[in-house]
Amino acid sequence: MQRFITLLSLMLCAAVAITASGPGQVSAADNVIKFGVSTPLSGPAAAWGIPHKQAIELVFDEINSQGGLEVGGKKYKLEVVAYDHKYVIAEGVATVNRLISKDEVKYLSILGGAVAKANEEAVNEAGVLELPLAYAEGLVSPKNPLTFHSFPSPPETTTFWKWIKEHHPEIKRLATISPNDDTGWWSIKVETQYTEKLGYEIVAKEFFERGLTDFNPILLRMLAQKPDIISVNASPAGSVGLIIKQARELGFKGRFIHIGQVDTSVVSGIAGKPNVEGMWVHGYVESPLPESIKSWKERYTKKYGEWNATSIDFANPAFGFIAAVKKAQSLDPKKIAQALQNVEFDNLWGKAHYGGKDFYGTNNQIIYAMPFSEVKDGVATMIVQLQPPHN
Amino acid sequence: MTFALLIQSMVIGLSLGSTYILMALGLTLMFGMMHIINFTHGAVYMLGAFVIYYFFGQWGVPYVLSFFLAMLLLGAFGFVIERCIYRPIKGGIEPTLVALIAVTTFVQALGYPVFGTLDKHVPTVFHGMYSILGVGISAERLIIIPVASVLVLGLYLFINKTKMGAAMRAIEQDKEAAALQGVNVNVVNALAFGVGFALAAASGALMAPIFKLDPMMGEQPLLKAFIIIILGGLGSIPGAILGGLILGQIDSIVATLLGLEPAFLLSFVFIILLLLFKPTGLFGHEV
Repeated sequence: MQRFITLLSLMLCAAVAITASGPGQVSAADNVIKFGVSTPLSGPAAAWGIPHKQAIELVFDEINSQGGLEVGGKKYKLEVVAYDHKYVIAEGVATVNRLISKDEVKYLSILGGAVAKANEEAVNEAGVLELPLAYAEGLVSPKNPLTFHSFPSPPETTTFWKWIKEHHPEIKRLATISPNDDTGWWSIKVETQYTEKLGYEIVAKEFFERGLTDFNPILLRMLAQKPDIISVNASPAGSVGLIIKQARELGFKGRFIHIGQVDTSVVSGIAGKPNVEGMWVHGYVESPLPESIKSWKERYTKKYGEWNATSIDFANPAFGFIAAVKKAQSLDPKKIAQALQNVEFDNLWGKAHYGGKDFYGTNNQIIYAMPFSEVKDGVATMIVQLQPPHN
Repeated sequence: MTFALLIQSMVIGLSLGSTYILMALGLTLMFGMMHIINFTHGAVYMLGAFVIYYFFGQWGVPYVLSFFLAMLLLGAFGFVIERCIYRPIKGGIEPTLVALIAVTTFVQALGYPVFGTLDKHVPTVFHGMYSILGVGISAERLIIIPVASVLVLGLYLFINKTKMGAAMRAIEQDKEAAALQGVNVNVVNALAFGVGFALAAASGALMAPIFKLDPMMGEQPLLKAFIIIILGGLGSIPGAILGGLILGQIDSIVATLLGLEPAFLLSFVFIILLLLFKPTGLFGHEV
């Protein structure tokens, strides 16, 4: 009997574990466009993954509530099929394989540079249209014709350093710390090249494994070089919070900057509000919000109960996809891709399009006026909106 | 590296080492007693931290009371695991190992729907900064050193000066002979599970205000704790102390000198070299 109870307990454990890591229900109804999302819904990067999934779902729900998306005279319902990859590459590969092979999605959005890079070949071979939110060198390139990066990347956001140079000339010595993967390597590489050209001295460049919690030794090494500012480019919110908290404990008085994207409210919770004061961040704005975003905030909060400002820019894949399908009037990924390169559409910040040929060799990078904030009294307050250096 | 930086990194290493000792204590106790690798250690560490998050952070229960509640609740969880899993499968090493991995997976998977997917934080309990040899150490980190010392001393006295401790040592040496002498092996095993889980919970409860909380937060401490108990000798409390201090210094000095990756690599190189010359670790003995 005891053995039976033990066996039953273990089977229950396994069943719950499998259920907890599985996706939502997938409809098999006709006239449904399935859109795959492979994103971290748990783990250190969940602060990005959850709004990624929710933002796309909200945009699709609103289209569905108007009767669906019309293509060639036929109305289609939009449906998100989402899997959690926990920001683990193996899980990312497995979830994308499942989306393509089992769920038969033709369009998907992956979050995370390392995961997107690991799936590059699978996406190309399957002929799937991909709208990732991912920093990785070579991801946007002519060899990935169906990949349309839908969030400003380091080659775009580094332009903020020019603004810093003009407005804060006292900042001269830069230290960088970033995750030890494709996302971190490329972000730091691009940022370093750009800032060196602007005349900044790069005094430290460090990488850490995701999941690290004690940054003291590495911060001691960095702070010995006496930086004026620390860039935590590409680091997730939890890590940024710990880096800031521990750097302040070690006596660092300068500023922090994240030109990727990070939820500063999560960072403040971990690091302590006063420690985050003055931090610069791209893509996260709490105030002031234009009318279009105030309305989005209301709708988002109504649906999910809790507001997440990261959702503002992470809705881009949905806006881009819908605009391109409308223009192409086709469900063929290649035709939608052609339309994406020619369509101008509205995202929550205003007009957006896919461009960047001068830098990437292809018009597969989203381009729009990017918001930059400074944390003032604990609130991420927008200080400037800048156009990328390439169109 | 300047001399001042070396001293500073040694101070950081001492602080790191204290946290490592705390993480390794419960793990080494359970291995010493029952020769099982407790894979649930990281999950229990995480649960201990979340007890603090809810009781202290959300419901306003005083921190010290929440700390003891964490030890008590997770200690009781240890009893349950011993009674429902370890005892029915008669303490076999491999089945126990697999069963404990299953429990860990279950607890971590359940963590996301229960605790939420975003990182959590606990307000600072011990405020203030202290400067030791020129390096700033927060009070919440400094407090780890006396707490770890008290727990080590308490565990040492419990094992060496109490009747139940003597029963534990007897079982460690020869389970059958101890049973023939009237030692109730089931009760002592249950107690070892309870104490081992309570120590893991204490470690998590102490780290909660220092780090962030998420359902996977126990994975890295579990890895460190494994390295420490192998370094110090499986089942040895003095070994866990020395192992924790050595690993703390390696992680700090090498990371400050060369970076994080070489520090991680060197800790394994150090262990391999040590095990080549002393396969049982610093204070371990043949099982």
